[in-house]
Amino acid sequence: MGQLLSFLYRFRAFFTFLLFELICVWLIVRHNDYQRSSFSNATADVVGSVNETSDNIADYFSLKKVNKELAAENARLRSLILSEETFPIDSLSQFLIEEDTTDSVHFELIPAEVVRNSIRNVNNFFMLNKGSNDGIEAGMGVMNSLGVVGKIRDVRGNFAQGISLLNTRNPISARHQISGRMGTILWEGTNPKYAQLQYLTPDVQVLPGDTIVTSSFNSIFPKDIMLGTVVSSAPDRNNTYLNIQVELSVDFGSLSYVYVIKNIYKEEQDSLINSTPMIQQ
Amino acid sequence: MSKHSILLVVSYIFLMAVQVLLFRNFVILQVGFGFVYLLFLLSLPTEVGFNMGMLLAFISAIIIDLFYQTTGIHASAAVFLMFVRPFWLKTVVPRSGYEVNDMMTISNYGLVWFLGYATPLVFAYCCIVFFVEAGTINIFWNTITKTVVSTVITVAFIVFTQYLFYPKSKY
Repeated sequence: MGQLLSFLYRFRAFFTFLLFELICVWLIVRHNDYQRSSFSNATADVVGSVNETSDNIADYFSLKKVNKELAAENARLRSLILSEETFPIDSLSQFLIEEDTTDSVHFELIPAEVVRNSIRNVNNFFMLNKGSNDGIEAGMGVMNSLGVVGKIRDVRGNFAQGISLLNTRNPISARHQISGRMGTILWEGTNPKYAQLQYLTPDVQVLPGDTIVTSSFNSIFPKDIMLGTVVSSAPDRNNTYLNIQVELSVDFGSLSYVYVIKNIYKEEQDSLINSTPMIQQ
Repeated sequence: MSKHSILLVVSYIFLMAVQVLLFRNFVILQVGFGFVYLLFLLSLPTEVGFNMGMLLAFISAIIIDLFYQTTGIHASAAVFLMFVRPFWLKTVVPRSGYEVNDMMTISNYGLVWFLGYATPLVFAYCCIVFFVEAGTINIFWNTITKTVVSTVITVAFIVFTQYLFYPKSKY
């Protein structure tokens, strides 16, 4: 016993080292579970408010660019309004009144500001200045006027943390718009401008410039949200799939204002999928 | 230890604030991260033993982790750095030996010695941070570029900070 104690005492530095490293490994492994909560209640508010303050200062330097983006989006929305038919030519259509207007609303958008965003790590995250108080829940999709940004991973009262599309563990169901074929968009971890489109077979003709959008195969994103455009495409070594390089439409380096997508029928959709597991995959 | 406690506390607060508020927002050349807070850990006097050193490293790196959203990765690297440091200090003893209670800074031991002492430790730190974060060796060259560039930038900023803000040489 005495020998054991003296052994422990002699190598106490090493054992302390092991102890600390074990704590760290535990933290890393726990954090690795990307769909689950990551930041603790106690620290979330402090980290969030420091992020918000430093973002407030940084905001002034990008005002011009943000203004341009918002103006462009306003113009786009205005043109959408104008393209709606206001005067029906056929008088019959005047009587086509929807019974319940809530039926026609499937997705609701909650505007939020990005207070923290990283793009140079291998697994990037972002933080929004709105949380559960504004109706944001874990698992919701995030987009901006240019396209898909990521998913919400964890929420607190006034802040939400999201997994960026620039995360090697965040695959997103995608569709090649011209052929309609499904694939998966996954970031490789190096260049924040490009991602890889996987699982498209070589019989599909994919050309540079083709549009890649979200598929309707998930309850997170509405279909046909822009993801990016094809830059290059070549069959892989075994000729089973295509290696498709996609230029992302969102400029992650200057992410400022985003929309959180609330799917009103998510529960319904998910419970149906869970009760009939064949549909998954 | 007591002689330098004020400098240590002030430099700790200053370096952590600069790291979180300033350096976190800049990634130089798209691959170079600056971990300037390591200066605090590197400059601790030898009297700070293994356990105290590792505890300080753990606490400060966990704070950094919270802001970098990389829970545990910086902490493991910093604890490793402080575990290796005493052995490394024995290997790179300057010709005059270490003075009791002296901080491990340029003003006490000279620029050449400091570079030889700090660079391998910072390199080891960056290696752990980037390889654990990548979690794969598929993007080996990208990771190793990040490691090397970040090491150079971190060491450069650590040296500049000492010339700008630390007490000048007593000789």
